[in-house]
Formats: sequence, C-alpha cells, structure tokens
Amino acid sequence: MGASILIVHPDRKTQRTVQRILGITGYRIDIADDLEQAIRLLAHAQPVLIVVDGAAVLGPHAGPFLAAAKAAGTEACMTLLGGPIGDQVPKLLGLGAVTNLLVHPMPVLAEELTITAHKLIRGDLFGIEKYLLWGTELHALTLTRASQRADQVARLAEQVRSLGQSARVASMAMLVTDELLSNAVHNAPVDAAGEHYRKDLPRDRELELDAQHQVQMRWGCDARYLAIEVTDAWGTLDRDTILGALAKTDVRDSGGGAGMGVALAYRSCDHLVFNLAPGQRTQVIAMIDVRYPPTERVPASSYNIFVERAP
Amino acid sequence: MPEAHGRMTVVTEREGVLLIGGALDETSGLLDLIGRAADHKLVLDLAGVTFINSLGVRDWIRMQAAATKAGVHVEMLKVSEPVVHQLNMIVATRGTGSVSSFYAPYACDACGREESRLIDAVANAAALRRMEAPPMVCPECSQPMAFNDFPERFFSFLSPEPRG
Repeated sequence: MGASILIVHPDRKTQRTVQRILGITGYRIDIADDLEQAIRLLAHAQPVLIVVDGAAVLGPHAGPFLAAAKAAGTEACMTLLGGPIGDQVPKLLGLGAVTNLLVHPMPVLAEELTITAHKLIRGDLFGIEKYLLWGTELHALTLTRASQRADQVARLAEQVRSLGQSARVASMAMLVTDELLSNAVHNAPVDAAGEHYRKDLPRDRELELDAQHQVQMRWGCDARYLAIEVTDAWGTLDRDTILGALAKTDVRDSGGGAGMGVALAYRSCDHLVFNLAPGQRTQVIAMIDVRYPPTERVPASSYNIFVERAP
Repeated sequence: MPEAHGRMTVVTEREGVLLIGGALDETSGLLDLIGRAADHKLVLDLAGVTFINSLGVRDWIRMQAAATKAGVHVEMLKVSEPVVHQLNMIVATRGTGSVSSFYAPYACDACGREESRLIDAVANAAALRRMEAPPMVCPECSQPMAFNDFPERFFSFLSPEPRG
C-alpha cells in the first residue's frame, strides 16, 4: 500500500472538510469514524500523518490507538479540537503525547492544517515564511550581546504600533519575544556534559555572544498574523520539555530553565510552533492573530512540535 | 523626578503611595519597594507599567511573599493590561494584595475604536463577580462600547480561587 494520511473523526462533514484540505497533498486519504476502526486500519497501513479528533483522544481507546500509530511508524499525530474548547486543552496537554494541536475553527483551521501537513510530509520544517503571505516584509536581526534583548523588544513594540496594530498586540509581541530571546540566550547553550551552563546566570549580566551563541530573530506581519521567529544554534530544547511546559496550568516561581518562558509564550499568542533539529538548532515561531478581536477567537492556542528527521 | 530601577520607574506620590512605570523585569528590584510601605500598607499605582516578563513575574511573586511576611498589605491601583494578563496567567502573582481598579479592553462596534478603560473594582464588585463588564460609552461617537475579551478569562484575577 502507498503512503497515506489517516483521518479519525466521528463527524462526516468534518471528515469531508479535512479530506478536501489534505487531498491536495496527493496522498491517499483513509478515514475512520472512531479509534477502534483506526486501530484496525493501522494494522495494514503506515500513514505518514494521522489527523484525529481531540475528544476521541481523551476517550478510553487512546492508549491502544497511540501504540498502534507508533507501531505503524507514524511520526505525526495531529489533534483537532472542534466545538466548545472547555477544559479539553489542559486535558490533552496532560496526556503529554499530542505533538500537534490545532484548536481554531474554519477558516483558520484550513490554513493551520495545510501548512502543518505540508511541513510534515515534505520534511521541510524551518522558516517563518511558511506561515505568512507572499511578499510579506521580514525584519531580521542578530543578537550579539545579551543586553540587546530589552532594546530589541522595546523596538519591536514601537514598530508594531507604527504598523497600526493595537497596544494589546504590541504587548503580546513584547512578552513572547522577550521570553523566546531569553530562552535562546540563557537556556539553549550546553557544555560537553549537556549542562545548561548559562541558565542560572543573572539575566541582567552582559554576555558577548560569539557565532555559536548568537540568536537570530525575524518577524513580519501580513495583516493576518504578526509572526515572530527566534532561532538558536544549539538544538537542545526537546519535545518532552516543551510538552511539560505547555501542560502547566499555573506557572509558578520554578527557578531557571525553559519551562516558564515557554508557558508564558504559549499563553500570549494564538499559535506556537517549535521546529527542532536536535543538536543543531531550535526555532520557535509565535503567531498573534491580528484579524479578529479576542472575543471572536477561541480562548486557547494551537501548537506544533516538529522534529527534523536524521538524514 | 522618577527614580530609575533598571527599566522600571518609581515616583513617590506621597508616603506609602508609589507610581510605577516602564518595564518590570530582571532589573527592577521590586523587593526594595516593601521598605516604602507606610502603616503596614503599600499602594502601587500600576497604570504606567507597559511590560512584565517572566523574570519580573518572579520578582513580583517574591515581593508579594515578602510583603505578606512583613505584614504589609499591597493595594494595586489602575492596574495596566499587561499586569492583568500576568495576574490571570499566574495565580501566585496575586499574593494577598487587593486590586482597587484596573484597565480593561473595550471596542466600539460603531466606529471601531479600541481603548483600554479604567474599571473601579470596588464600585463594580457585584457585576464583576457575575463576570459582567461595566458599560462604557465611546468617547469618539458616544455609542456603547463592548468589552473586548472573554470576561471569564479577563476577570479571573479578581476571583479568590483560580478558574480553570
């Protein structure tokens, strides 16, 4: 059997909608109404991607289903949340197994689903361009000293306001950028023993950043999203650390490490994307939806964790 | 003259009443503010706070804990939206202090104006407990403004117990 995508959802209309969106990938689309049927399909298929209903993943067959997907060699399991979000997001995050969570209804869902599917299927993960419209101007900078972080965050806010965006959007952008830059400068570097040797240094201490320690930042706004990308050259942030941080329901005084920053960034944007190349680079992209007022959006955020396959 | 504490500024309005502005971060040294209390009370006007990051949050939590230990009540006035955002996300930032007033987002459906409006948390306590935003009128076109966030999310910092 050829490469396929498996859709697991009880609602026929959702099945058809997702099938139409993912059909453009050229992959065969298999459909299951529930996890039991999906488990039977997985005995004979090796889907490159599974798209599954969030409510089903919270049900009793989730364990055997996730095990069957792993045995079939499926690397990506994308979970969709439809209808009222309620407390489903914290429950799903608590599972520690959902690497891609898409919470927004149509039409945003179609955008998120298409980009996520293409990235997974092509294995081409990195770059903010994938999330912004053609022609969007990107602003780029390199942090060569730790003290530049505060200045760049303040400058970003000024530029965002000068583009006509609201104070709220600028405020969210400041928080997300500060946390991502801080993580990249202080939490990403490791020594030969894997020790994060800068995580406990006072954040106001000046650090000269050589080529290995420098942090790249790009951002742009296409009138749909304000997107901010931060990349380090370490590749030390891992999937379990991210999932642990996202699952925090209350962020407390937890000492050093990437957890608090990741958790705050997730709660301050509409979509957070982690592109991980272990031992090489970590790229985090945060998107703030500038189209709709908060009351017209769902009170939760999507996220994706992509891990680059070894060549 | 404002005193600079890193990127945070402090103006003493009168004894025990401080106007805080700028960014609360690793350079702020918030613990030092406890010594400025008068009669076991410290009033912080937070209207001018434009930014607070995770390091500022840690410092804020430590300040609240130190205030509780020292028997100092912290009253927060005119709490800016960036601070409300953190109070909502991180329960520990609320400490044992009280909020007398805060800014909240409103938008006018008629003319599209968006604005942060000051809400008196004491006068509107009953409505806020019901998660109802006080009515506001647009200063530009005089039409009613709508609350521009989910009340259950934005007002959760006023609840004694954290909401899910």
